[in-house]
Amino acid sequence: MQYFKKTNINFTGYRKQFAMFSIILTVVGLLAVFILKPELGIDFKGGAEIGLAFEKDVDMGKVRSIVSDLNLGGNEIKSFGKANQILIRVADVNTGPDKIQEALNKSMSENPYTVLKIDKIGAKISNELFVEAIWAVLLAIVAILIYIAFRFEFDFGVGAVIALVHDVIITFSIIVITHHLGILNLELDQALLAGLLTVIGYSINDTVIIFDRIRENIEKHKGMEFVKMVNMSINETLSRTVNTTATTTSVLLLLLFFGGPVLQGFAFTMFIGIVFGTYSSIYIASGYVIWNHIRTHKKTDETHGKKTYSTAKA
Amino acid sequence: MKNNWGKLFLILIPIIAAIAVMIPTYRAYQLEGKLKDYRVKADAAGNSADSLAIMEEFRNMYGTDLDEAKKNQLKLGLDLRGGMYVTLEVDIVKLLEESAQREAIDEVFLTVLEKTREETSDSDSDALDIFLKHFNEIARPKGKSLISYYDIGDFREATEENIIERLRQNADDAIHQAAEVIRQRIDQYGVAEPNIQQQGNNRIILELPGVENEEQMRSLLETTARLEFHLVRNSVDIVRAFARIDNLLAEQARRRAGIVEEQPVAQDTATQIAEIPAPATQIDTMQTALLDADTSLTDTSGADTSKAADPYEGMSEDEIMKKHTSEHPFTSLFATYFMQPGDAGQMVPFYYTTDEIPDGEYSFRIIKDSIARFNEILNRPEIKPLIPVDFKITIEAKPDSRLFKQSGIEVFEIFSLNREPELTGEVITNAQQSFDPTTNAPIVNMTMNDDGAERWARITGANVDKRVAIVLDERVYSAPVVRDRILGGRSQISGMANSDEARLLEVVLKAGALKAPVQIIEERVVGPSLGQDSINSGVTASLFAMLLVIVYMVFYYNKGGLVADFAVLLNVFLVIAVLTALKGTLTLPGIGGIILTIGMAVDANVLIFERIREEIAKGRSLRSAIDEGFSKALSAIIDGNITTGITAFILLTLASGPIQGFATTLLIGIISTLFTGILITRALIELLLIKGGNEFNFGQPKQIQSV
Repeated sequence: MQYFKKTNINFTGYRKQFAMFSIILTVVGLLAVFILKPELGIDFKGGAEIGLAFEKDVDMGKVRSIVSDLNLGGNEIKSFGKANQILIRVADVNTGPDKIQEALNKSMSENPYTVLKIDKIGAKISNELFVEAIWAVLLAIVAILIYIAFRFEFDFGVGAVIALVHDVIITFSIIVITHHLGILNLELDQALLAGLLTVIGYSINDTVIIFDRIRENIEKHKGMEFVKMVNMSINETLSRTVNTTATTTSVLLLLLFFGGPVLQGFAFTMFIGIVFGTYSSIYIASGYVIWNHIRTHKKTDETHGKKTYSTAKA
Repeated sequence: MKNNWGKLFLILIPIIAAIAVMIPTYRAYQLEGKLKDYRVKADAAGNSADSLAIMEEFRNMYGTDLDEAKKNQLKLGLDLRGGMYVTLEVDIVKLLEESAQREAIDEVFLTVLEKTREETSDSDSDALDIFLKHFNEIARPKGKSLISYYDIGDFREATEENIIERLRQNADDAIHQAAEVIRQRIDQYGVAEPNIQQQGNNRIILELPGVENEEQMRSLLETTARLEFHLVRNSVDIVRAFARIDNLLAEQARRRAGIVEEQPVAQDTATQIAEIPAPATQIDTMQTALLDADTSLTDTSGADTSKAADPYEGMSEDEIMKKHTSEHPFTSLFATYFMQPGDAGQMVPFYYTTDEIPDGEYSFRIIKDSIARFNEILNRPEIKPLIPVDFKITIEAKPDSRLFKQSGIEVFEIFSLNREPELTGEVITNAQQSFDPTTNAPIVNMTMNDDGAERWARITGANVDKRVAIVLDERVYSAPVVRDRILGGRSQISGMANSDEARLLEVVLKAGALKAPVQIIEERVVGPSLGQDSINSGVTASLFAMLLVIVYMVFYYNKGGLVADFAVLLNVFLVIAVLTALKGTLTLPGIGGIILTIGMAVDANVLIFERIREEIAKGRSLRSAIDEGFSKALSAIIDGNITTGITAFILLTLASGPIQGFATTLLIGIISTLFTGILITRALIELLLIKGGNEFNFGQPKQIQSV
């Protein structure tokens, strides 16, 4: 079986248009994040959360009024996967869940429940988890920059990191928008963060494979025009890109639909991240490398007449 | 051909190793199923004695097997099996407040504490440093110094440095003390496989699988420990009570003998621990010299009190053991010694084979495995009344360390104590571990306040040569012998095996002077049904994902796809096996990591196969195309996996909780992907090439296949 024999799609030719598209998407995404504000999950916000499974389907309005009568502060009531399962969140860490259970036992005795989970996160812990998470993301990006710069060239590292930041911003903004629209419950918690970090790993893997081919072709096709050579590298790896993206995204779609509420946020994040990761490896990471190459070569050509790569300019 | 054997081994050895690692997991799974069957049978039995006997039958047949298998099986995280996760923190601010002299506390001090509490609530810095900073800013300008509030009143000079050092020491002790108390409580509560970890210098992390009554557990964790001194009363009265329990149980067993044959447990406990040295701790006054209390043990089989009319005469050792345990179902759980009167204090094993129980001191030892059963029997409603009301039975907190070092057996002393404490811990002002200047043996110095000293003098005076147990939270940490009347409230405890033991005793004694105030700052409870749901959906999704990948790979890469599928399956198996071998825990995010590993592993194979196809398309022979394909794909695979590995590693070191579980499997997955994706796949393809001649289908279009 083979989809493509030998392709020669002009990827690099549209790099400016796609760069514009990405810049617009990133700006819109950032704006959306600032306007809508990501909703922090209990891990990072602190508070108490209790997940209950009732025997019969549950009237959310009734639960809401019972809980708000308790005056525990900041209460939120959400569906937790199924119609008989709910998630109640209150600000009162210490006594909140106990009071809620007591009240529900009394007022809804006709529909008994079992406790699915209880989380109580003190303010100190949630702050720490948040700081920890930010550090993890930043450090991962810096470490990757160093590794790529070491294995390839410095601008390759920069290109990879730009693509990666691009992926993270767009993925994150889509998460925030999706959550805001109420399509999926996607609060920023530890599981979602793990998903975002995996996006970083995946995005970089994808970029590295194209860069690897460029690195190889620089050696092999000395004298070829740089832009053409990058385009050739992308075409040569296209079959792999399609195959891997197809398998991983379908795996993630399976997780999204069958993985249950706990894995859902993770799977959604990864899915969006991989789609944009694949796109950005071609248009953003490689695009930046080309742009940087042309820019520095103009300069070096003008001043010293030297060339960094063996490019034959027409 | 030799080379091919090498390839075959390369493929087979990891498989065999992984299977070996996973055997206990399978065995545990099997036995848990059996246990369930027995439970159902026991529930159906109707009366409690019968169901107890059924459960006992399971324990005798599979108990040790199950324990052993469980020790080495793959552990599931709380999110998958249900349970409670708690982070406790020692409240340093409260500790600072409580250790200050009550009468010295004023407005200024309270302001400093208030400021400290505010800042520590969202700061990572050391609480004591924050306190000192505010103290310097607020209290010092007002002419106050630490000496105004803290009295370290023992041997050292009260300088500011000394006080700071002492406060730091207190904070340090508090966390050890809390960890110790919690460990004991959890142990007694009977949580299976708890995980208790100290994190940083003021936190304790607890993982309690299967705990559902979180309210009860919470109160168990947050109540402060109580330190008491109880008089040890290992007298003839308690031995008689034990004998009565024996008779009652034997009677019960005889009554139901027609239904189920009772199989006694821990048959050889009594003999196993018959060679234990006598208790080795003793109280001394500061002035009294240390007395070597290592009592020697004599072989007393000839001098046994039961010698006169030996009911075991002419029986083999096995038969004796069997008869003894069935006639003494309770006392055969532990070893009893009669302490011969006189200075030498020789211990003679006592076997309850006679009705004439000699008056005097006794001593009891039990091995760890029998403790649960021992407690269970004592707690039975029909047994409880057999113990005299003014007694209570308490077990030592830690096994005898000397014996453990010698033989590896964990032996605990059982104490029969006066129910009412002689003294409670509040009177203790300080405890300090030290070394005896002449013998260099570890000792603990304990000081009491005036009120305590007065009562202590009375208590020790009335109980010279008797033992007084130091009981924290219903567990005996030490039961030294009183050498003489202790005046002035300064006591020295000696006879500890090493300085660690002395240090523990110091921490325990300080629990009297300083209660470690702990608070729960994070608590997560996963109900069993959510855990089961998560397993179901996680496993279903993973299986679907694998199936999809497998079908796709064969569809696209033909025979090459089959090889890749084998490599991917092996990869998943290896990740789980390595996780098991590392004693790691599989969590739901961990399953996420495995799914991602599948993706990475497929990617590695896709890269290689695409490269091989490319080379074949260029007109290379199959052989050299394979060589080229592997070597050219290598750099991309390695770079891609290392960058992902970097992310995983950072997550593993920086993050905690669920993210850590994800990072662990991902990191293992990346390493095993490099191994299976590059080495195993290649070895397999080459082995298949030998069998299949010069043809191997990577799904490439036929017309460009080399000839």
